[in-house]
Amino acid sequence: MILIGELSLWVALLMAAWSATVSYAGGALRRNDLVSSGVRGLYATFAMILLASVGLWTALLTKDFSLEYVASHISANMPAVYIFTAFWSGQAGSMLFWALILSMYGTIAIATSRSRNRELVPWATGTISAILLFFIATTCFKANPFVRLDFLPVDGRGMNPQLQNPGMAIHPPNLYLGYVATAIPFAFAIAALFSRRLDAEWLGVVRRWTLLSWFFLTIGIILGMWWAYVELGWGGYWAWDPVENSSFLPWLTNTAFLHSIMIQEKRGMLRKWNVVLVVVSFLLAIFGTFITRSGVIESVHSFAQSPVGTWFATFFFLATGITIYLVGTRLQDLEAKVELESMVSREAAFLYNNLVLVGIAFAVLWGTVFPILSEWATGNKITVGPPFFNTVNVPLGLLLLALTGIGPLIAWRRASVSNLKRQFAAPAAFGVVVAAVLFALGMHAVYALVAYALCGFVTGTIVQEFYKGVRARQTIHEESLIPAFVHLVGRNRRRYGGYIVHAGIVMLFAAFAGLAFKTENDVTLKTGETFDVRDPYGHQWRFISQGVSTSNRPDRDVIAVGLEMFRDGKRLGIITSEKRQYLDSQHQTLFQPITQVGIRSTAQLDTYVVLAGVRGNDVAELRVTFNPLVVWVWIGGFVMMIGGLIVMWPQAERRPAQAGYAATIRTPRAEAELPVGV
Amino acid sequence: MTSRREFLTRVATGSAALALGGGATSAAAQQRGAMHDSSIVRDTTNLFAMDQSAAKAVRLPPKPNAKPLLTNAERDELEHKIRCQCGCTLDVFTCRTTDFSCQVSPAMHADVLALVQGGYSAQEIIDGFVSTYGERVLMAPKKSGFNLLAWFTPGVAVIVAGTLIAVWLRRWKNEPPPVAAASTFTTVDATPDELARLDAAVRGDDRE
Repeated sequence: MILIGELSLWVALLMAAWSATVSYAGGALRRNDLVSSGVRGLYATFAMILLASVGLWTALLTKDFSLEYVASHISANMPAVYIFTAFWSGQAGSMLFWALILSMYGTIAIATSRSRNRELVPWATGTISAILLFFIATTCFKANPFVRLDFLPVDGRGMNPQLQNPGMAIHPPNLYLGYVATAIPFAFAIAALFSRRLDAEWLGVVRRWTLLSWFFLTIGIILGMWWAYVELGWGGYWAWDPVENSSFLPWLTNTAFLHSIMIQEKRGMLRKWNVVLVVVSFLLAIFGTFITRSGVIESVHSFAQSPVGTWFATFFFLATGITIYLVGTRLQDLEAKVELESMVSREAAFLYNNLVLVGIAFAVLWGTVFPILSEWATGNKITVGPPFFNTVNVPLGLLLLALTGIGPLIAWRRASVSNLKRQFAAPAAFGVVVAAVLFALGMHAVYALVAYALCGFVTGTIVQEFYKGVRARQTIHEESLIPAFVHLVGRNRRRYGGYIVHAGIVMLFAAFAGLAFKTENDVTLKTGETFDVRDPYGHQWRFISQGVSTSNRPDRDVIAVGLEMFRDGKRLGIITSEKRQYLDSQHQTLFQPITQVGIRSTAQLDTYVVLAGVRGNDVAELRVTFNPLVVWVWIGGFVMMIGGLIVMWPQAERRPAQAGYAATIRTPRAEAELPVGV
Repeated sequence: MTSRREFLTRVATGSAALALGGGATSAAAQQRGAMHDSSIVRDTTNLFAMDQSAAKAVRLPPKPNAKPLLTNAERDELEHKIRCQCGCTLDVFTCRTTDFSCQVSPAMHADVLALVQGGYSAQEIIDGFVSTYGERVLMAPKKSGFNLLAWFTPGVAVIVAGTLIAVWLRRWKNEPPPVAAASTFTTVDATPDELARLDAAVRGDDRE
C-alpha cells in the first residue's frame, strides 16, 4: 500500500499537469472534449492523491520506520490518534495534506457547478489544477514523505509533547481547510477574468467557498489560541507571531468579502472590489504558507528551513504577477450599474467596514514584513512585536466594532433621519449605560471604556434586531416566543446567523479589552509560605505553597508545585503547575521540558499559575497571573462557529415573505433546490 | 512482511532497551537534578530552535550614590519591552517566568537588575540593551528614522483610503449611472420592478 501510495503521487503529478493544460486549452479553443478531459483529469488527480494519502497513513499506522517521515514524526509508544495526526505535523506530510484537501475541494466545486457554470468551468478547473500541480510537484521533488532511510531505526523520534494535545490535533487541519478553501474562489475569480463573465452563478460559488474558508479559519485560529493559552504557559493566547498573523490575514479579507458580496448581491455594486478581495485572500494564504515554510521571518512556528521556501516564493510571485496582469487588463469590464443614493446607507457602512478590515489586514501584513524591509533599507535588524500591533490595531478594531453595530441598523440605499433615530436610540443608550456603570465601578482606562461602550451598543443592536423580528413573527404568524425565534432564524439564516457571529465578535472584543486589566505576579515561595494579592476586581487572594514534589512516570519526569488557593478568605482548592521532561523508551530525554499550567477558569477571570523554576528542594519560582474574561474568547469563538454554521446551512425553501430582498439574485441553483411543487 | 532477520533485530534491540531500563532510573534522577539547576542539556529537535548562547553582557558601572529609580513593577514593565534573544520571540519578563529551561532571559534579567541597582533609569537601561544587541532587542521599533514608516503607514493608508472612498461615494452619488452596454460582463442587477419591490420592502423594514 505504501508503494502504491508513492507511485500514486507521481501519477497525480502527471494528471494535474494534464488537467491544467487541457482545461486552459479547452477554454481558449472552446473545445468541449478538452474541457471534459480536464475535468476528468482533476477527478483522477483527487483519486491519486487520496491513494497517496492512504499510503502515508498506512506507513504511519503500521509504524514503518524505514520511511524518513515516519521515523522523524512518530515513535512506537505514541497514542494512535497522534500517529494519525502526524500525517500533517511535518513539512512533507502537510504538503500532501494541502494537495489532498485542494483536490477534494476542487472535485466537489467543479462537480457541483459544472452544469451551471459552463463558461467558467474550463478556466476554474485549469486554475485549480495548476495550483495542485505546484503543490504536488513541491511534494514530489522537495518534500516527499515517501523518502526512505538506508537503515531501519528501532524507534522514531516521536512528536513534541506540546503538540500532543487535542487542540493541536484539530487546529492545523482546520487552518489548512480554511487556507485551501481560498483557492476555489480564487480559481473562479481567475475564470471570471479569463472568460469575462461574472454572473449570479459566479457569485453563488464564490460566496459559498469563501464562507467555508472563513468558517474553518475561524475554528482553526480560535483553537490555536486555546492551545497556546493552555499549553505554552506564557499567559496569553495571541502573540502577533508572523505565523499567527498569516492565518489572520486571509480571515480578514474573507470577512471583508462576505460583507461586500452582500452589496453586490443586493445592489450590483463593487464587482471589481470583490474580485480583488477574492484573489487577495488566496495570495495571502499562499504568502502565509510561504512564511511558515521558508523561515524568512523569525517565528516560533516555522518548520525547519527548507528549499520549499524558494518554491513557495516563486509560486507566490508568479501567481501574484499573473493575477495583477489579469486584473489590470480585464477588471474594467466589470462596471456597476446602480448609483449610490446616499452617503448614509448600508452600502456606505459596508464600504467602511471593508476599509477597516482591509486596513487591519494591511497593518498586520505591514508589521509582519517590516523587519525585512527595515533590514533591506537600513541594514538594521528590528523586532516588530505585540506593542506595535496593539498600538496600531486597537483603534482600527474599535472602529470595526462600531461598524458591526452601525451596519445592520442603516437601511439599504438611503436611510432617513427618523429611521436612524428610531434604530439607534436604544442600542446607543445601552452602550452609554454600560460605559457609565463601568466608570462608576472604577474603570478609568479610556480604550477599555470605549470598547465596552461599543460592546454594549453592538449587543443592543443585535438584541433589537432579534426582538423586532420575533415580535413581527409573533404578530403576523401568531407564534409563541420560541417557535417565532426558531422560525425567524431558520427562514433568514444568513441575516440572523450573521448576527449570531456578531454576538461572538462582541464577546471576543469584551475579552480582548479585559486584557487591559491583566495582572502578573512574579513569586518565589517555600513550602508553607503565603502569597497575598488583589485581583483586578478587588478580591483578596491568598496562595499557600504545598511544596514541590517530584515523580517519575514511564514516559516522563515531573516536578510539580501545589498552591492552596483562597479568595476573600474562602478556600477554593488546590491549583497545581508542573514541569515535565518527556523520555523515550530508553529514558533518554525527548524535546525540551514543558510546562503544565494550572488554570482556574471562571466567567470573571482565569487564575493562571506557571511553575517557572525550582531552587533547592522546595523553593518554587512561580508566575501567578490574573487574566480577566479569557473564557469569553472560547465562548465567543464557539458562538461564531454556531453562527457560521447557521449561515452556511443550505436554505432550501422559497422565501416569498422576503420580497423585500427581491433584488437578491435568485440563482438557478436556489431554484433547483426548491422542493418539487413549490 | 518482516523478514526473520529484521524480526530478530527488533527483539534484540527491544530487550536491550529493557535491560537498560534499570540504569535509566539513575539517569532520570540525574536529569531531575539537572532540571533543578536549570542546566539541562537541550536538544534541537523540538519546535523551537533556541539559541542558549545568545545572551551578551549589558553592564555599566553603578552611578555614584546609586539608588534604584524603578520599583519592581516598573522593572517588570521595562522587561516587557525587551525581547529575550533565545528565539522564543517572548519578552524577557514573560520568558523568564515561563520557560525555566531558558538561560538567556535570566541572564538578561540579571543585567536589568544590576542596572536598576546601579541607579539607571528605564530609558538608560533600554539604551544600554540597544547599544549591546542592536534595535532588535526591543519588542517594537523606536519611533524614529526609517521606523516611523512602520508606525505611521497603516494609519495614513487607512485615512487616505477612507477619504478617497468618501470622495468616490460623493461622486458616485451625483453621477448618472454608467451606460450598461459598456459592460461585457453578464450583469445581475435587479429589474426596475424588482427595485420597486425592494424599495417597498425597505420601507416595510422601517416600519418593523
